[in-house]
Formats: sequence, structure tokens, C-alpha cells
Amino acid sequence: MTLRLLKAAAAALTLCGALAPSFAHAQNFERPVRIVVPFAPGGTSDILARLIAPKLSEAVGQPVVVENKPGAAGNIGADAVAKARPDGHTLLLMDIGSLAVAPSLFPDLSYNVENDLAPVGMVMFGPYVLAVNPSVPAKNVSELVAYAKANPGKLAVANSGVGALNHITAVALARDLGIGWKNVPYKGGAAASRAVVSGESNVIINGATATLPFVTNKQLVGIAVTGEERLAALPDVETFKEAKLPLNDAGTWQGLLTTGKTPPEVVARLNGELNKILALPEIQAKIAEQGGSPRPGTPEAVKSWLVTNIKSWGDIVRAADIKTN
Amino acid sequence: MELFDNLFLGLSTALQFNNLIYCLIGVVIGTAIGVLPGIGPIPTVALLLPFTFGLAPASSLIMLAGIFYGAQYGGSTTAILVNVPGETSSVVTCLDGHEMAKRGRAGPALAIAAISSFFAGTVATVVIAVLSLPLAALALKFTAVEYFSLLVLGLFAAVILAHGSVAKSLAMVFLGLLIGTVGIDVNSGVARMTFGIPALSDGLDFVPVAMGMFGLAEIIANLERPEVRQVVSQKLRDLVPSRADLKAAFPAMVRGTFIGSALGVLPGGGAALPPFTAYALEKKVAKDPSRFGKGAIEGVAGPEAANNAGAQTSFIPLLTLGIPANALMALMIGALMMQGIQPGPQVMTEQPELVWGVIASMWTGNLMLLIINLPLVGLWVSMLKIPYRLLFPAIVLFCCIGTYGISNSAFNVWLMLGCAVVGYFFIKVGVEPAPLLLGLVLGPQLEENFRRAMQLSDGDPSVFVTRPISAVLLGIVALMLIAMLSPAVLKTRKEALAE
Repeated sequence: MTLRLLKAAAAALTLCGALAPSFAHAQNFERPVRIVVPFAPGGTSDILARLIAPKLSEAVGQPVVVENKPGAAGNIGADAVAKARPDGHTLLLMDIGSLAVAPSLFPDLSYNVENDLAPVGMVMFGPYVLAVNPSVPAKNVSELVAYAKANPGKLAVANSGVGALNHITAVALARDLGIGWKNVPYKGGAAASRAVVSGESNVIINGATATLPFVTNKQLVGIAVTGEERLAALPDVETFKEAKLPLNDAGTWQGLLTTGKTPPEVVARLNGELNKILALPEIQAKIAEQGGSPRPGTPEAVKSWLVTNIKSWGDIVRAADIKTN
Repeated sequence: MELFDNLFLGLSTALQFNNLIYCLIGVVIGTAIGVLPGIGPIPTVALLLPFTFGLAPASSLIMLAGIFYGAQYGGSTTAILVNVPGETSSVVTCLDGHEMAKRGRAGPALAIAAISSFFAGTVATVVIAVLSLPLAALALKFTAVEYFSLLVLGLFAAVILAHGSVAKSLAMVFLGLLIGTVGIDVNSGVARMTFGIPALSDGLDFVPVAMGMFGLAEIIANLERPEVRQVVSQKLRDLVPSRADLKAAFPAMVRGTFIGSALGVLPGGGAALPPFTAYALEKKVAKDPSRFGKGAIEGVAGPEAANNAGAQTSFIPLLTLGIPANALMALMIGALMMQGIQPGPQVMTEQPELVWGVIASMWTGNLMLLIINLPLVGLWVSMLKIPYRLLFPAIVLFCCIGTYGISNSAFNVWLMLGCAVVGYFFIKVGVEPAPLLLGLVLGPQLEENFRRAMQLSDGDPSVFVTRPISAVLLGIVALMLIAMLSPAVLKTRKEALAE
């Protein structure tokens, strides 16, 4: 029963926040802060938001509520933040790679990624693992490339959906290596993993946290990982860089943003608090459990990351003629 | 015996005092949200996830699991009393459960629902304990090809499900398939019938459609009738099911449990498939199928058993493979990850006390649910005495809160209200919305799996008959088709409909 009371209290708090007149000025936070997660609860973005929320609440002296607004590949939640009052009280935590491809995938996007959203800071980077079903006769990158070249169209790469980052990564790999493989879309990463474990498809490029258990349990064979270093859990699996594969920084880049035109001093305050939170040992340990590493940085760094990738991934999307419209 | 060692280990975890308390909290919350129409386990679990941070992994999972299967118990209550499905899975319970209530037999209907749920829950716990490894292996054998054939079978069941004209039910299945295509197509990424509205890009959510067409439409239809109500007897004798009721319901419970256990394991089947299939089967094996839709007790027992068994066996892929079978299991993965446990096949060997503790807690939880629910039957039935002018606005309010909560979107509320108008129209022209809902749920999966199977086989359709599981499933469809088209059956069907 206490939990139901808590539920009611939480609802009442949110309601008060919505009704209370607010004259937020400069860096002060005078009403509850929302962190919008544009995906269903339970994913990486959601877990990060729920880790950060209580710490941010202590720092700004206001309740911080995590709100899941799933739908349309993250665009519904991002749109809600883009159209919120520009006072830094509405935040967006998501894989900013999805934001970078959105303008190319959705020509009639209801918000402008570069102008309507203001980056606060990067939160974490999580590498990808490229893995295959054990029925594929390849144990490393060169064997996989050789097999793919000898058997064009035989390999089926499962991805988390048309236009998802692991789809675009697979397309770009095929383009740069001159191999032909089928791209098979699934409804989300979990369905794609299942399909490769069962052998329905046979190659997957997906986040390390989701893929590692299958590799350590020998249901999948690890071929390569993205990021600067090899993974501690897979010391024998080479990095994309070592294997001279392109896209060695592909993976999940979780970033925090707020509404565009938020005063720079508010963004600076939020950035400062975020970086302080990311420096806490308990938060670092939790992020490591998510298979990633914290990436504290400046808002400008996120901005330039977005500008670069909107262009480079946009080129891949257009060249491969990937459409969601 | 390893099995007994495991179960003993599980019971020693589940019977710890604090875990019993968390289990109780879970099933009580579950029952409560199940009773409230539209407020489902998914938003509740999402809301409670942060609170499980501080708990031990086993305690948090035991509580969250309790919410999930507890909701299956509670979901049937509003379905039976006021025709509003509390959960997706209780849509089918509306069909005969509400009819029973209309005839003054709400008490037995509620009791049978609780007993069926308990029976199925207990059996499913044993199934999980004994068969989880082989069942998980079977689930992995299901690729796009097998799914397609299974879904064809499911859609066939939809036609059998409807009472009344075959033409009307076919029309409703096709309408369901059609609105199922709304949204971004998984295979090609093309947006269909979204009219540029982002909220439509993931398709129409099942919950608002079901609540609008069943619950709210029924309320509108009730409003135009004068307020005459079946006087509900409060005598205990009329609340408990008779010996004849139990005798009729028992075989249905067993069949429902079997179907639910099998379908629950398959990822993607969702909450709707087990009860729909169980209902279709009950109708098929019944001596007098015309009783269905008019308060047949088997029509409550079978689907209720199926949805509870399915809810529990859907933990098998999560516990043994680390793969979520549905959206709620994906949340459970989130809960495990928050505890620093990466779900996967290794959890079973590395954390046996967690896995077996959760399995054993399902049995203690089911026992608690039965003890909580049976005495409540009288209380729920007396809810029917609340005047409509108070009851209806309350239901509409809860439905609105619930649909909003699915993804914090006002669009779903409007969708539900729109579907209420459409549902009212359906009542007026005398067509059943159940086949439409099945088409809506199964249609998109049917298309997705068919096209994926085609893509993987390079467009060779022979895979559907050369793969053994798929061939068997399609064979059953063919037999059903022959049986349905045979003159003898056509004749009896006509007679049954003539009543």
C-alpha cells in the first residue's frame, strides 16, 4: 500500500510542477526538471537517466522526473523537448546517433536537430560488438571478409530496424569492404539478437552489453569490437581499428540535451553538474555495468559531433537509399 | 535429483521472510492495477523500477514478477463485471464472463477466473521448473518461417472465434489486418497510412483500441437502455461456483493451461494469443458451440488459465536465454541490469538462487493471489451496486489515465475515445470486435515474418512446407479448412447460427 501512496505522491508532485507558475531566470531551477527518455523503460538511455536523476535533483534542489515518451524512433520524445520552454527544465537523454541520422531518414522531421535542441554534454560511449552465429566458418575479421566475398548474399546481418545505427554501420561496412550481405531488419535489438542466436540470421552488430553474454556463452562468436581498446571481457577479439575496418567509433553515444535557445549560462550550469555526476565513482561503476565508459565533455564537443555525423551518416543513408518515408 | 535440489534452493530463497513480503506487495499491487482498467503492469513496473534499486536482485525480481502475474488475476475482474478488459489478455474474458455477470452469475464467473488462474499458475510453475531448458531450445527453433505458419493458424482461429455470420467476422479480421498496417513497416522502413503524424509511426496501440471498442462502447450502449439491472444476489451460495460449474470448467482449465504454457514461451506472441487460442479451442471441442458468447463457463476458465500460464512461461526465455519474450520482460532485463546482472544464458548457472528463487516465488505468489482473490469476489460483485452515474465516469476516468500511461501520450487517449465511437457503431450493426482485435495484433507479425522468411530464402516459398514444424502447422490449417468446407459441418454451423 505504501507503494501506491508513493505513486500517488509522485503523480501529485508532477501535477503541482505543471501547474505552478514559473519565472525561471538564469541558473536557478524553480520547478521540477524533466528528463525525457524517448524510448520505453529498461533500455540504456532509461537506466542512465534514472541514475542521473537523483544526483541532479540534489544538485539543483528540485525534483527531477524521468519521463518515457517512446515512439517514432525517438522523434516523439525529441520533438517534445525541442518544443518545450527554453529554460533548461526539460532535458533529453538519448543515443545521439539516432538524432544524427534523423534528418536524413525523415525528410519531414517536425524539429530541427541542430537549432531546436541544445547539447548539454556527452554521457557515455558504449562500443559495438560484431559477432556471428557459430555456423559461419569465420573466427576473425579476415576470415569473415573472405567468406563474405566468396559467398555473396549468403550472410544475413540482423539489425534493430531500418535506419537504426547498426543497420547503417552494416551498410557502410559492406560498402567499404566491397562485400554483399543481406540486411535483415528486426523490431529492436533484442529480437535481432534472438534471430542470430537461433541462426535465422547469422551476423549481428550490436551493443556490447547485449551481445557479450552470448559470446562468453559460445552461442555467438565475437569477431571485432569498436572503440579505442579491446574489451576486458574479450581480450582475444581485435578492434575495428586493428583489423583496419572503417567506423571504429560506431557504437552508442548517449548524450544529454535540452531545448534550443536555452540561455548559455543555464546550459553551462547543467553541463557542470552533469560532469560532476559523471565523476562520481558509483556512477562510473554503474556506467561500466552498462558496457560503456563515461564521456564527460563540453556542449560544444557534442555539437560538433552532431554536425559531423549528420553529414557523414547522412551521406551513407542517401548513398544506400535507406528511407523511412 | 538436480531438479529437487534446484527447487529446494529456490524455495529457501522464496520463503525468506523479506522475500515473502515483497512477493505479497507485488501481487497486491498487481491485483490492484489489474482491476483498474487500462492501468497495466508495464507502466507500473516502469514506475517501480527505481525503487528496486536498493533491494537484493532476487527480492526485486520476485516483486516485479508478482506485479505481472498478479495483474492477470485482477484483469479479469472488470472484464467480467463491466465488460472493460483490465488488461490486454482479458479481452477474451469479456466475451463470456460479462455475459455470465449479466445473467446474475458474476460470483461464479469471478471465482472460476481466480481458480483457473491459480491452477494454471501452479502448473506453469512446475512446467518452468521441469521444462524450461527444452522449451527454451524449442523457442529458438522458431524462425520467421515457423512464426508465419503459427500466425496463419492463429488467424484461422479468429474466424472460428466469432459467433454470428462468417462474412461479418471475416470482414472484421480484414479490417483488423488493414489497420494493423498503419505505421512504419519493419521490413522496408516505409511509413504507411501515417498521414505524417509521428504518433502513428509505430502503429496503433492494442490497448486503447481494445478498451475503446469493448469497454467504452459497451458503456455508451448501456446508457441508452433504462437502468434495469440484474439483481445480484449477495448470498454466499450464489457466489461460489456449483459442482456442475467446476466439472464443466476443469477440462477447459487443463487445456487452457497447456496452450498458455506453450504459447507463452514463444517470443512475440504477446499477451493476446494464448487466451484467444484457448477460447477458439474450447468453442471447437464444445458439444454445443452456440452457448459461447452467452455465458459459457468454459469460455472463462480456458482463456483465464491460458493467460496466466502464458504470463508465467514467458519468463522462460528471459531466465534461460536472457531474451525477452515481450515488452514487460524487456523491463525485467532493465531491472536486472540496474542490479548489475547482465541477463543471458549464464544467469542460470551463475545465479541459481536468483533464477530458482523467482520460479519458486511464483508458486507462493499464486497461493497468495488465490487467498486474496476468493474472499474479494463478494466485494467486487457488490461493486455492481454502485449506480451507473458514478461507476461509468469512474471507469472512463481510469481508462483515460491508463491509456495515457502506456507511453505518456495524449494521442492514445483520443485513439481510445475514437475507437469507442467505432465500437458503438459495431454494436449497433451487430458485429463482434474480437476478430478485428486479433487481426490487428497478428496481422503485422504475419506480414513481418512472411517477408523476412522470403528475404532469407531468396524468395523461395517452399521453405514453408519443407521445414517440419511449419509443415505440421500448415497441415493443421489445411485440415481445419477441409473440415469447415465439408457439407456436414457447414450444415451444423448454419443450424447453430439459426438459433
